[in-house]
Amino acid sequence: MKKYLLLGLSLILSASLWAQERTVSGTVTDADTGEPVPGANVVVKGTTTGTITDFDGNYQLSVGENTTLVFTFVGYAPLEVAVGSRAVVDASLALDISELSEVVVVGYGSQQKKEITSSVVSLDEESFNKGNINDPSQLLQGKVPGLSVYNKGGDPNETSTIRLRGISTVGANTEPLVVIDGVIGASLNNVDPNDIETINVLKDGSAAAIYGSRGSSGVILVTTKSGKRGGGVSASYNTFVSAATVANEQPIMTPSEYIEAGGNDLGSRTDWQDEVTRTGWSNVHNLSVSGGSDKTTFRVSANYRNINGILEKSGFDQINTRASLNHYALNDRLKIGVNMSLTNRESNYSFNEALRYAVLFNPTAPIRNDQGNFFQAILFDNFNPVAILEQNINDGKRKEMNFNANLEYSLTDQLTVNANYGQQYGDDIRGEYYPRTSLFRGFNRGGLARRSVEDSRFTLFETYATYATGFSNVDLSVSAGYSFQEEEREDFYIELGDFPSDALGYYALETSGDRVTGKQLIDVASSATPESRIIAFFGRLNMTIDNGIFLNASIRREGSTKLGKDNQWGIFPAVGAGVDLTRYLDLGTFNVFKFRAGYGVTGSLPNESGLAQDLVEYDFQEGGRARLTRAANPDLKWEEKAEINVGIDFAAAGGKLSGTIDVYNRDISDFILERTVDAAIYETDRRFENAGKLNTKGIEVALNYQVANGSKFSWTPGIVASSYKTVLEEFIIDEQMRANLGAPGQNSTSMVRVAVGEEIGQIWGPVFTGDVEDGSQVLKDVNGDGNLNTAQGNALEDDGDFEQIGKGIPDLEIGWTNQITYGNWDLNAFFRGAFGHSLVNTFRAFYEPIDPGAINSYNRIKSDKQIPEITNAQFSSLYVEKADFFRLDNITLGYNFDMSSSSSFKSVRAYFSVQNAFTITDYSGIDPDPVLQDRGTVDNGGRLEGQPDVLSPGIDRRYNYFTARTFTLGLNVGF
Amino acid sequence: MRNYIKISIMASLVLAASACTDLDEELRGDFSEDFDPANPGLGQSGGGTDDGLSAAYAEVLNGTANHGGYFSVTEVSTDEAVITQKGGDWFDGGIWLNMHRHQWQSTNPGLLGAWNQSYAGIAQCNLLLQETKFNAEQVAQLRTLRAYFYWRLMDLFGNVKIVTEPGKDVEQSSRAEVFAFIESELLAVLPDLSTGRTYARANAWGAQALLARIYLNAEVYTGTARYQDAIDAADAVINSGVYDLSSSYADVFSPTNEDNIEHIWVAPFDESVGTGMNLAQMTLHYPSQLTYQLQQQPWNGYSTLEEFYNSYEDGDVRKENNFIVGPQYDIFGNPILDVAFDKADPDGAPVNYTPEINMLAPNGSRQAGARLGKFSFKEKQLPDMDNDFPLFRYAEVLLTKAEASARLNSNWSDPTALMLVNMLRERASVSEYTTMTEEEFLAERGREMFQESSRRTDLIRFGAWGNAWWEKAAHSDPNLNLFPIPNDQIQASQAETFKLTQNPGYD
Repeated sequence: MKKYLLLGLSLILSASLWAQERTVSGTVTDADTGEPVPGANVVVKGTTTGTITDFDGNYQLSVGENTTLVFTFVGYAPLEVAVGSRAVVDASLALDISELSEVVVVGYGSQQKKEITSSVVSLDEESFNKGNINDPSQLLQGKVPGLSVYNKGGDPNETSTIRLRGISTVGANTEPLVVIDGVIGASLNNVDPNDIETINVLKDGSAAAIYGSRGSSGVILVTTKSGKRGGGVSASYNTFVSAATVANEQPIMTPSEYIEAGGNDLGSRTDWQDEVTRTGWSNVHNLSVSGGSDKTTFRVSANYRNINGILEKSGFDQINTRASLNHYALNDRLKIGVNMSLTNRESNYSFNEALRYAVLFNPTAPIRNDQGNFFQAILFDNFNPVAILEQNINDGKRKEMNFNANLEYSLTDQLTVNANYGQQYGDDIRGEYYPRTSLFRGFNRGGLARRSVEDSRFTLFETYATYATGFSNVDLSVSAGYSFQEEEREDFYIELGDFPSDALGYYALETSGDRVTGKQLIDVASSATPESRIIAFFGRLNMTIDNGIFLNASIRREGSTKLGKDNQWGIFPAVGAGVDLTRYLDLGTFNVFKFRAGYGVTGSLPNESGLAQDLVEYDFQEGGRARLTRAANPDLKWEEKAEINVGIDFAAAGGKLSGTIDVYNRDISDFILERTVDAAIYETDRRFENAGKLNTKGIEVALNYQVANGSKFSWTPGIVASSYKTVLEEFIIDEQMRANLGAPGQNSTSMVRVAVGEEIGQIWGPVFTGDVEDGSQVLKDVNGDGNLNTAQGNALEDDGDFEQIGKGIPDLEIGWTNQITYGNWDLNAFFRGAFGHSLVNTFRAFYEPIDPGAINSYNRIKSDKQIPEITNAQFSSLYVEKADFFRLDNITLGYNFDMSSSSSFKSVRAYFSVQNAFTITDYSGIDPDPVLQDRGTVDNGGRLEGQPDVLSPGIDRRYNYFTARTFTLGLNVGF
Repeated sequence: MRNYIKISIMASLVLAASACTDLDEELRGDFSEDFDPANPGLGQSGGGTDDGLSAAYAEVLNGTANHGGYFSVTEVSTDEAVITQKGGDWFDGGIWLNMHRHQWQSTNPGLLGAWNQSYAGIAQCNLLLQETKFNAEQVAQLRTLRAYFYWRLMDLFGNVKIVTEPGKDVEQSSRAEVFAFIESELLAVLPDLSTGRTYARANAWGAQALLARIYLNAEVYTGTARYQDAIDAADAVINSGVYDLSSSYADVFSPTNEDNIEHIWVAPFDESVGTGMNLAQMTLHYPSQLTYQLQQQPWNGYSTLEEFYNSYEDGDVRKENNFIVGPQYDIFGNPILDVAFDKADPDGAPVNYTPEINMLAPNGSRQAGARLGKFSFKEKQLPDMDNDFPLFRYAEVLLTKAEASARLNSNWSDPTALMLVNMLRERASVSEYTTMTEEEFLAERGREMFQESSRRTDLIRFGAWGNAWWEKAAHSDPNLNLFPIPNDQIQASQAETFKLTQNPGYD
């Protein structure tokens, strides 16, 4: 890549060759107040030549003959002024009620909001979620119509599941592409929420197509804060302390209820759920300094997070620093930018299993026996939860670093070139130790240690050029570029047992007795992915006609190493058009009425490498064998998504009411899935294939209404709502059951049906009639043939008595924000809800029946839906619950202190916030939030493996973390 | 000039960029086709052979003695093994209860397991048969092994695809065609196979034993009885002089049974280089971990039917060897306890395996049922056991000859049959038969071959498959003599040229 940097340098050197004709200067002021507007853009129309006003609103710029200057600034309407022969051109900008002039980052450049013809949502700091938020995606939860962010429970060490417009892919990467400050594929883990200025979400195909094969699941563009030119130096300090409390426990039998129901009384009384949880205190500090002279801006920040979850021991300590520097040279023709960020996180993952066993463990069992040892017994899937937490270790350290350097150079007034080089590194080391006294994983092995290391690198080089021109009433901008992305990952893992002492934990692997006798027990693995590359060429055309008609088109040709030789390259086109109808029609009260439509094709790549090649594995069976374990699929190609999006942006009643409506239709073809193949023909019965087609249709609405906008009191409620439906259009298998309920006793019990021509997310099973006979549910003769056939294996048979008993995907998701200011006070209340979805309450399905054979092993769930006569566990509609909910997700009350101008503080704000204040729901489990994908079942101390299944939504599994209610007290200080 | 510079800069940028379009994928942590599967190289320290055939032979280790495949469907469907529902445990959608009751479905994962395990073995044989470096004897071995896997498919599913080249789709064959294929393959390779003793490898006697087995069942498979052929094949083994009955029945199945004189062909299970035998976990109750200091917790699944247990008379060494019954103790002699014992269980917390089982479902007692102990457990057993599992052993060949002789002569007290059966009874320390009935022969064969995946085939051949037994009603549906083709595989074949058709009665 060195040669590109050299090229960049030569660009700089040749820059001074071009000079300008004459100079104009002036002051930009606010039309209402007359105050100067610092940082406003001043651009020569039809070119990329321009500058930014200084702290006093002054600017100076070289211009040619007959030029027109365009003045823009966020929140103001753009203003065009013909220069004529004047040497001084002042401008007073009027506030833009529609905010459509806002500049929005759209990937390889930015556009004014009005020019955008696709579905893009832009959020700034003000509208982010507040409180104890450690994962940037949570800033967006509920705020963007069509974007679902769910973190079941809120384990501080888990990242959220993010879905844009439902299922965008089946077997490929389901998470949106994240772009941080222009760096594609950056990690959200390496940016502190405090450092984020704006987040833009590109929702539809026509917006995301410029990102080609990685754009199908949507694109999230993060812009971090930076210094302002001519803005002087300022500093800020943000801090909060928060207390996370257990919001909700599983309803279980008390010890006396348990004994009465037939449980063995072991003599003690223990509230296990209480024993393994706590109030998790966290504190966060963020210190930043930013500033800018005429030529140079900078921002540096340091973030410290000490986060503790509600499960004992769970949490992390994190230090993150970020620095950005921008320098403008050669009469502002050249901009050089450098960003760096470092994160060091030390996590205690603790054991989510303790939550599961706290629900299940006999409530009459003591924590410790008379000798002071933990009470433990050899039972299936049953461990003393306090012992799990106190005896064992599960922690790790993660370091992430990234940097990128960016050059932007205006070759001529019309032509700008941009080059960006970045790298990102991640390093993760983990350790687990289970002493021989721990029945959980340690006892069987005489002590067990596990260590693992993962190291990853990502390199990006991109360059593009933009040519802007204009003639009569047409503005035109054309871009073309090249992108090179390379990713690799290496890991290493070892598990050993039989330790002479537990004292050294996982730090003394050499003392493992397995080294002498271990045979197959020594578990070692190392691996490295191929250097997986994506190479692309792309181009884009933006055209504005008459400042009222907008056309956008882009094309990207992209290749990936992950696909079959003849299918590595794909083409991803997009077109979009929009028109501001208020410019041409009298629409009465509407100030803005923009109609837009876009079509775009994006792709998806499999997560794994090597799928187009045979996979030969070696093991020691029979003394050593190599065998083909996965047949190559040389025909493997892109999963492709073609999407049409039609939308309206409007503002009415003098800007008091504004809103956006989008409807879309997306066809996902050739979706990649590891599926069952004919074992007689292939060497194994599983292979990755382009297996079928999905269609999703949806609608999204966002409305804002300014109820009051006085200087004393303002209130702006906003509502976002979305709904979608995904249908499996083609699949090699007509209908199929998925999502096994699991052990104990309910393996081979599939709960989700997938069928061609029907909607995704059908929870499928026998129907409970409400009657109980001999301890068993009386199930419904669904097909009315007089013969009850509810054996699991007949779920899809004609004579099987099964039907849809729930829906995994919600019909409607809404978010309702309220921003109220009253004098110095501000109140932010955010409600969130989802409706129409159900959840399989697996805790109830296993443990609610008062089963004489199992009650001695496990405590019983006693929900308000329990039917005490039932003594046999049998999956049915009884355990599928409507999980509609409406929640006060976040309420924040803040106070801005008045600062005298002599104070050394510029601003001081204090706030108090409650997350998950209350939830209205009929769901009897821990958390009614939808579950969009299924990670499968696990038991008896086993570990979750494999990819989550997006075709099986709606299963609330037993390993989910408990939900927290969090109280936060925070302070923001500006210097 | 300026424009020239600009254009050349742009051009060089674009050119430099387009040079970087290399999309070759190089695997770094995995082997691909470059790795020669017939020459695995190192890793021989476990005592395996290095004949290059391991990739194919190792496939018999999967499913022969673990849960969820060949072993499960051939045992749980019979009267010698059962998985009861123990309260909330082992219901599993009713699949094992259905199998016990002969109401299995094509979605049963055990059937899919058995199918896939067999075809995985066939695929590895086919891959190795593409190699040119094997000598005639090795090629003959691979074809014998492949024929063995096809026998499993023919026996369980009947109508399957006979694939003999990697990746080549073919039309589904009838059961009789599969029979003909197996027979012709074995007869063709017999002259090339070794006539010496081999370990975990097919030799001429393994091929003859397989021939004897298919001939004995030929009437079931093809409609035409072949008892004389069965006798001839059995005689070939008997007269070879290579094998004999082991003086100790227990030795044939113990953790140190390697190279037992009775073994003709084994699946060479080993705790490190031959994993896949999990019988201890499958049958023992959780706390029995303490009896044997097992390195993995057992699952409390399989036991035997009381009736079958009682078919052994006291003093039969096979009864002692094949089952675990009575109170259980840890290595220090203390009774082991189940703190979650059933209130209804008169034994309370101390674990006591009783041959009597209170019920099949829903509340089978956690401690009920004699446990499957034929392949005995060793202390500190790793998750995978060390005992070799005979695919063919001398005693079976004797029983085949005995039965074929009796059937050929329509006389169950046929002297040859009596003589051969009495060899086994004598070893078991039970009195010799002077006369024998068909039922007595079937029971005797059951006692001898218990837990070796033989019972299903035997019951079908004796017309006893539809008999009633504990918690299983009588039926007379001949379609049940075949299992259904796994639903997943029927569906998957829809994407191929030749689609699989379900067996009769299962549509």
